[in-house]
Amino acid sequence: MSEKQEKMRQCAEKLLRDGEAGYVIGWGETRFDDRTTPIFVEDPAGAGAFVWNEYAINSLAKYLLDDKYPDKKIGLFTRGCESRAINRLLKDNQIKRENVYLIGVPCDGKKSDRCTLCRERNPILYDVLLWTPEDDPPPAAGRFDRVKDIEAMSPDERYVYWGETYDSCIRCYACRNVCPACNCRECYADMSKTGFQGKQHSRSDNQIFGVTRAFHVGDRCIECGECERVCPMNLPIMGQTQKILKDINELTGEYECGMDATSENYLGRFDLDDKDEFM
Amino acid sequence: MSRIGVFVCHCGTNIASVVDPDKLIAAARELPGVAYAADYKYMCSEPGQQMIKDSISEHGLDRIVIASCSPRMHETTFRKMLKNTGINPYMLEIANIREQCSWVHVDKDRASEKAVNLMRMAVSKISKNEPLYAQTIPITKKALVIGGGIAGIQAALDIADAGHEVVLLERESSVGGKMAMLDKTFPTLDCSACISTPKMVDVGAHPNITLMTSCEVESVSGYIGNFEVGIKQKARYVNHDICTGCGLCETKCPVKVESEFNLGLSTRPAIYKLFPQAVPSKPIIDKENCRLLKGGKCGICAKLCPLGCVNYEDEDRTITDNFGAIVIATGYQLVDWPSMYGEYGGGRYKDILSGLQFERTVNAAGPTEGHIVRPSDGKEPETVVIVKCVGSRDPNKGKSYCSRACCMYAAKHAHQILEKLPGTRVFIFYIDVRTPGKGYEEFYDQTRMDGAVYVRGRVSKIYEEEGQLVCRGEDSLLGEQVSVKADMVILETAMEPSPGIAELTSLLGAARDVNNWVQEAHPKLRPAETQVGGVFLAGTCQGPKDIPDTVAQASAAAAKVIGLLNKSEMETSPMISAVERDKCSGCGVCVGICPYKAVTLLEIDDRHGAKRIKREVANVNSGLCQGCGACTSACRTGALDLLGFRNKQILEEVDALCL
Repeated sequence: MSEKQEKMRQCAEKLLRDGEAGYVIGWGETRFDDRTTPIFVEDPAGAGAFVWNEYAINSLAKYLLDDKYPDKKIGLFTRGCESRAINRLLKDNQIKRENVYLIGVPCDGKKSDRCTLCRERNPILYDVLLWTPEDDPPPAAGRFDRVKDIEAMSPDERYVYWGETYDSCIRCYACRNVCPACNCRECYADMSKTGFQGKQHSRSDNQIFGVTRAFHVGDRCIECGECERVCPMNLPIMGQTQKILKDINELTGEYECGMDATSENYLGRFDLDDKDEFM
Repeated sequence: MSRIGVFVCHCGTNIASVVDPDKLIAAARELPGVAYAADYKYMCSEPGQQMIKDSISEHGLDRIVIASCSPRMHETTFRKMLKNTGINPYMLEIANIREQCSWVHVDKDRASEKAVNLMRMAVSKISKNEPLYAQTIPITKKALVIGGGIAGIQAALDIADAGHEVVLLERESSVGGKMAMLDKTFPTLDCSACISTPKMVDVGAHPNITLMTSCEVESVSGYIGNFEVGIKQKARYVNHDICTGCGLCETKCPVKVESEFNLGLSTRPAIYKLFPQAVPSKPIIDKENCRLLKGGKCGICAKLCPLGCVNYEDEDRTITDNFGAIVIATGYQLVDWPSMYGEYGGGRYKDILSGLQFERTVNAAGPTEGHIVRPSDGKEPETVVIVKCVGSRDPNKGKSYCSRACCMYAAKHAHQILEKLPGTRVFIFYIDVRTPGKGYEEFYDQTRMDGAVYVRGRVSKIYEEEGQLVCRGEDSLLGEQVSVKADMVILETAMEPSPGIAELTSLLGAARDVNNWVQEAHPKLRPAETQVGGVFLAGTCQGPKDIPDTVAQASAAAAKVIGLLNKSEMETSPMISAVERDKCSGCGVCVGICPYKAVTLLEIDDRHGAKRIKREVANVNSGLCQGCGACTSACRTGALDLLGFRNKQILEEVDALCL
């Protein structure tokens, strides 16, 4: 672990010293042994703050949206999940590839539930790869297992399930803030006069938020699991986005987002041969 | 506060017999913002319109709700009326209480209640309406007609005669299409070639028409009045600028392949004219079959040509041109019946002909010089069975629709057989006989007088026995199984759209219906237009029809084109998408979802904090946008909104209904 960590620090230090990157985004220590925090290092001398351990959990790519027009490149440690998020942002025309320097760090799986969903440990795109790729996790058996459980419920049961789930939602929007597919300049959830999304904490307005969020990201979700990780109420909200992905998979065959920066979003294209059996 | 006027139309008894206008008036007067409400027997009539205009000045109205028929019927009428009143024509809403209420309900109380709700929705919506203003765009005064059959020829001639330039595009090496293959045309039995070839010559010689054969549409961009079309000129290997069409080259070509024009009933060389009366009357080389182009040794045609026209090095070229209007006239083909009807032998029996193959057989210029003989042994048939609706009206194996022309040409085929071979027995298996057309029923009667035997029922099976074709079927009038031993069988097969129609309509952004025919903008009121502005329809690309209807529709499409090209600029509908750039993050979901290619990303100068930046935002082309609203629902942040149907207007309607 420490050897890899050393490579990361050296790479960041060199990038910053050579002026190739304005700053580098990675993980740093906290006062808890089992936590890390995203850090942004500008000074080459500060590169020693980067850490690499099983608690380097946060996906970092979303921070690129906070600085869409940088003067210099932004260095970013990039695992499989970050690289898929970057493809998401590239496809959604939110960042420019030449504005980022991607330091590929193949991942060995971290101590987080979200990593159990992982299908791609190694970065798909990078500018430099710091060490040899890891073996990808075992075949993604059970990618949609939880969706199947929900599908098995009767409509009434399902309504109770989601109704109770969204009774607990506190509308903190952490799921939105962390999601790489949530990249609007202004989110409808922050608008006061949409006419359909109320601000109050009620089952119906919470459900409207949940359903709208699911459809906004459904066909673009990279399945990184960050939304569920950050949810302070531990709500199983990927059940909705994954239902959309499962339906698309069943209608059109293999469909997975973030594997490249060019594939069309399924719900974002006009096609005369569109599958319309459900209509 | 807005001052809304509500006007309820009785539409004679169409509305008033089911919906109670008094209830609507009473309800309207209770609604906030409604300053005046009145009803009248025919709101669209002159006195009705005058009544609205008088009320506007008398009561100081600034928005008008009319509860009447569908907006597709009279919205434009009422908009025109408002032009002279000082109210913006888009401060108008129509509550459809006829098609969507009185025509479909019988319970008067509940229908009236629904009508009140529809009216309340319109009143709520109009409170958020805003004045809209049309833009104008310039027009390129040139038309493109795609397809050189009788529809395309007629449309091209009409447009050209009105003084506009036309490019007539044809995929084959000659214009003429299916009509050139026919022998005689019902019900007058005038010879098809005699009436169509002069028109073919006319398009070839017309000073306003540029004929482009062996060409296909490769790309389309732009919008009504300003299309840019990429046209692929396929290699002909013969220089048509020099060629005189002497035909010497064709005489010595060693290759013999099945003639497309004669539908496999004869052969042709690899350097060939499609048919003797082809326009342009010059040959091309079929590269798939030419011995030299396939890599072998030959070159005879180049040696024979006295003018040196043959050029084996010829290549496909792309030509780009600009047009103000486009007419789709791509026609039809017959269904591939052998793949659909294994019980008819699936193409194994030589003496089963399609209707079009029989046309070639009976045609004096055809492979048998007009003698009706069996392809298998050249003998004249003594018994002929004609089977109608092969692939038509058969949702299980073929098409669910009726192909319209077959009843008549089946009668014509029977008549021709009985005329040329008196004494022949002709049986026609039919489901129904449909003869709606001038002189059609009389023609059908004549055919029966001639001696054709009509048997009501489908043929279930055809098989060969002792050199004859046994047709088994049911006579559903007798309720008995029947079996006819025939020497020749003619299948009157269904029409389907020409191959490539899917690709062409995608390029143009035009819609197709469930059977792949090109969708007209309105089945009754706009039958010669597509939903895409500036793209028109002629002939069987829209659906099966006979020659008179095809020609009529072609002239209708031409009239629409002429009307468009006569203007120097045109107004576009202001009910299109608008972008709120501050909200737009430039994600581009709208670009991919637009069926009309109307949305693109545009780089703009902006500020990000203190920094000057460039960023991309959605941009709607007002000429291309048809106001369908797909982008506005795809836009997550609501940066796109449809003018006239803004989200807030629709939500007002929802609230009016649900709250």
